[in-house]
Amino acid sequence: SITPTEPLFKKIKLQLLEPSLDDHVDDMSRLYSELNKMAEVDSPCIDLEIIQKLPQTVRKGNWKVTVSLADIKGRTEIVNIEPGWDYKKYYGLALDIGTTTVVAHLVDLESGESLGVEGTYNKQAVFGDDVISRIIYAVEHKKGLEQMQTTIITTINELIDNLVEGSHVDHNDIWYITCAANTTMTHLFLGIDPEYIRLEPYVPAFNSINPITAADLSIKANPKARIYCLPGIASYVGGDITAGVEVTGIDKQDDINLFIDVGTNGEMVLGNSEWLVACACSAGPAFEGGGIAYGMRAMDGAIEHIRVTPGTLDVYWETVGNKKPVGICGSGLIDCISTLREAGVIDRTGNFLPLPANERVQIIDGEKLFILVPAEESGTGTDITISQTDIKDLIRSKAAVFAGVQTMLKTVGLPVEAIERVYIAGGFGRYINLHDAINIGMFPDLPLERYKYIGNSSVKGAKMALLSKEARREAEKLAEKITYIELSIGNDFMEEFVSALFIPHTNVDLFPSINQACN
Amino acid sequence: MGLTGLEIFKQLPKTNCKDCGQPTCLAFAMQLASGKASLDQCPHVSDAAKEALDSASAPPVALVKIGKGDKELQLGNETVLFRHDKRFEHPTGIAITVNDNDSDIAGKVAAINKLVFDRVGQIHKVNLVAVNNASGDAAKFAEAVKTVQDSADFALVLMTEDATAMEKALEVAGENAPLICGANAANFDAMLALAKKYDAPLVVKGADLNELAALVEKAGYKKLILDSGAREVNKVLADQTQIRRQALKKFRPFGYPTITFADNPDPIQAIVDAGVYIAKYAGIVVLNTADPADVLPLITLRLNIYTDPQKPIAVESKLYEVGTPGPDAPVFVTTNFSLTYFCVQGDVEAGRISAYIMPVDTDGISVLTGWAAGKFTPEKITEMLNSCGVADKVSHKKLIIPGGVAVLSGKLQELSGWEVLVGPRESAGIPSFIKQRWNA
Repeated sequence: SITPTEPLFKKIKLQLLEPSLDDHVDDMSRLYSELNKMAEVDSPCIDLEIIQKLPQTVRKGNWKVTVSLADIKGRTEIVNIEPGWDYKKYYGLALDIGTTTVVAHLVDLESGESLGVEGTYNKQAVFGDDVISRIIYAVEHKKGLEQMQTTIITTINELIDNLVEGSHVDHNDIWYITCAANTTMTHLFLGIDPEYIRLEPYVPAFNSINPITAADLSIKANPKARIYCLPGIASYVGGDITAGVEVTGIDKQDDINLFIDVGTNGEMVLGNSEWLVACACSAGPAFEGGGIAYGMRAMDGAIEHIRVTPGTLDVYWETVGNKKPVGICGSGLIDCISTLREAGVIDRTGNFLPLPANERVQIIDGEKLFILVPAEESGTGTDITISQTDIKDLIRSKAAVFAGVQTMLKTVGLPVEAIERVYIAGGFGRYINLHDAINIGMFPDLPLERYKYIGNSSVKGAKMALLSKEARREAEKLAEKITYIELSIGNDFMEEFVSALFIPHTNVDLFPSINQACN
Repeated sequence: MGLTGLEIFKQLPKTNCKDCGQPTCLAFAMQLASGKASLDQCPHVSDAAKEALDSASAPPVALVKIGKGDKELQLGNETVLFRHDKRFEHPTGIAITVNDNDSDIAGKVAAINKLVFDRVGQIHKVNLVAVNNASGDAAKFAEAVKTVQDSADFALVLMTEDATAMEKALEVAGENAPLICGANAANFDAMLALAKKYDAPLVVKGADLNELAALVEKAGYKKLILDSGAREVNKVLADQTQIRRQALKKFRPFGYPTITFADNPDPIQAIVDAGVYIAKYAGIVVLNTADPADVLPLITLRLNIYTDPQKPIAVESKLYEVGTPGPDAPVFVTTNFSLTYFCVQGDVEAGRISAYIMPVDTDGISVLTGWAAGKFTPEKITEMLNSCGVADKVSHKKLIIPGGVAVLSGKLQELSGWEVLVGPRESAGIPSFIKQRWNA
């Protein structure tokens, strides 16, 4: 947990000097000089509305006041003044607006504790599963953008409702919100035209923006609460990735580290304290279960580990929650490719090999598939299978991830061994069997101890920024500093991608540990 | 080899101020490393850094210019042995020889001026006229040079090893920076003096590579073109390779463009030899023929070899036939990304389907990527339908689009007037799709 050294919002108690005939300085100057003395705040911003009530407020509290201060990108704003020192507690919200899921932490800004965590699906999904479909919807439908914005705000407000209810907090006591999201999500959240994000040369409307108020967006918090979106880097590398880098701290180490967000967009960042490069490899939703016939998220009944015995082709599996299997999640899919290859069911290109007759391998509707779980053992009453098409899809996804890593290394002219540590982020990350992921050529063949799972780094980074002005400042600097590599320019990525469409790779020398195992 | 982006980055101010037009200093450094930007675009770089970068990033092969004004030809600045490593920078200059004892010099020059070809919408031509002192007579040489200079559209190469003849010729053409061809061990001092006097580029010819290196070192002059003295194609190939290889290792005497001569009396052999020289590092190739039929293949080869390979891997966007499609054959729409196209083509072929495939030009990106980036649109598909002539080849008006972009079907149908069938998401499903759904 993070100590709230310098939260973006805080309340401070001030004892003002009572005026007299010898000291007839005006009320506001009296407040400002004490503020400067106690909190080192110089020339803050303040609303007329607060000044209008100032004479009454200071006298009502008998010259004791509680001042609410919010950080607006380095400038301090007085957002509220209460008489006396008996102030109400105050809270913040750290938000991760994912394309698929939205997660929120309700944070006590004094202790830094999360009072509650809520997650839900992004309701924008009805307009499209991926960012591209949503951009197209927003642009091509009348009021599409407005609809999209209202939808995400409804999603967030429901989360807030659940959080405040669970923690017995008043909506009005939420005073600051930080939000980490990819560039498209940020645009749609703020109601900013996303059209040119997807069109060459892929330019977003903005990367960094001043905090706005909750009232501007009808977010159910104090109307004066500020909303700060972590700065993005480029069209397909947004504030969620800035947050991830902030959490891993790879920008503070001399060693060269790699951060991979294993999701649909497949963003990754490579670098150290001197330099950082980022790209988005568009891995596709396969590892989140999307586009795979029996793919699913890592929920109850999802096969998360699987082994196929060579020869007999007997199958052993484990499911989340030890429930009857209903589908297969990302980690299971990685296992699956790895084990089918090892069992000799598929060749290095992912094609089914000719095998002696076995009831597990069948041709249905002209397509070859492998029966992982027969109907009588499954929780759905139907066979759970993996088809030729599924396998090819997964190979493309893993190839995109690996090609992204290789292209970044090539761009800066470093060998893969130069990577000291690999941080794997994404909700699904913690289920990955690293050995299998390397075995199929998805991650570079580095010693397993160099890999580290960090879970949802996006919401963690949002929380860090909420609790520390320093983290907020760093995130701004970070986003300016990260160099985005556009993978669609030049042949490097395409060549790497094509070379990676093999298990594990066209160049087996890149995977010495597997190579050794074979010999 | 040149500096990597990271090495250059270390010398930059690291302010990320964007004044150079790049979002970060590292992005700028990477552009510098690939030769797509120049250091003076950064207003904040320190003098010390400038010096360090200038000397370290000096090209391994010097840039040499022949001729002046719009006749100028630039050679050199090459950085790689293989084009796929980065790219070849300056296309080989093609020179056509005119002998000073030819009966109709002006006529021959007129023929050379006409060696202008249209390739893929661009104009490509020869670059130099080489006047050869075949007569051995200085006055005749100078006169021929004058005639050629007056009528040629190109810069000149003056070919004689006789310093007196060269001097006379330079009196006529010296101010236009012709290529002096050239100096050898015997006439070295006289030729070098002439080159310096006219500030013109000079060919240095050695009896072999060793002598060539020695002569270059002795010259102390920077506007040089190298001639290893070899004339048999196998020897030229070996020498060209060695010169480029050593130059890239920063062996300074070989850090200049080269000249080669494809003068085999058999015209076909001469063209084949010239082809080898174009592919293998020649700065200039001198030909004896002005026959367009001989020059066209070389112009084409040069264009191809010197094309920037950093482009997406794409097939030509045109109508393709698989098998022997008749008027009732299905028409598949896809993109011109080669991987995509060959998947579709392979699966259509594997299903023994005779069909037309129409890869839309998406700058070589795949179906879903093209859709995402707005490059695979109903408008573009309709445009290709109307221009590729498929309507004349089939008797139906049915089109099969990839299942991944089913959303395009409505608008495409409306725009094109063709009936749009949404095919399977994967091309592997094409054979069964055709079996079940296709009847023209």
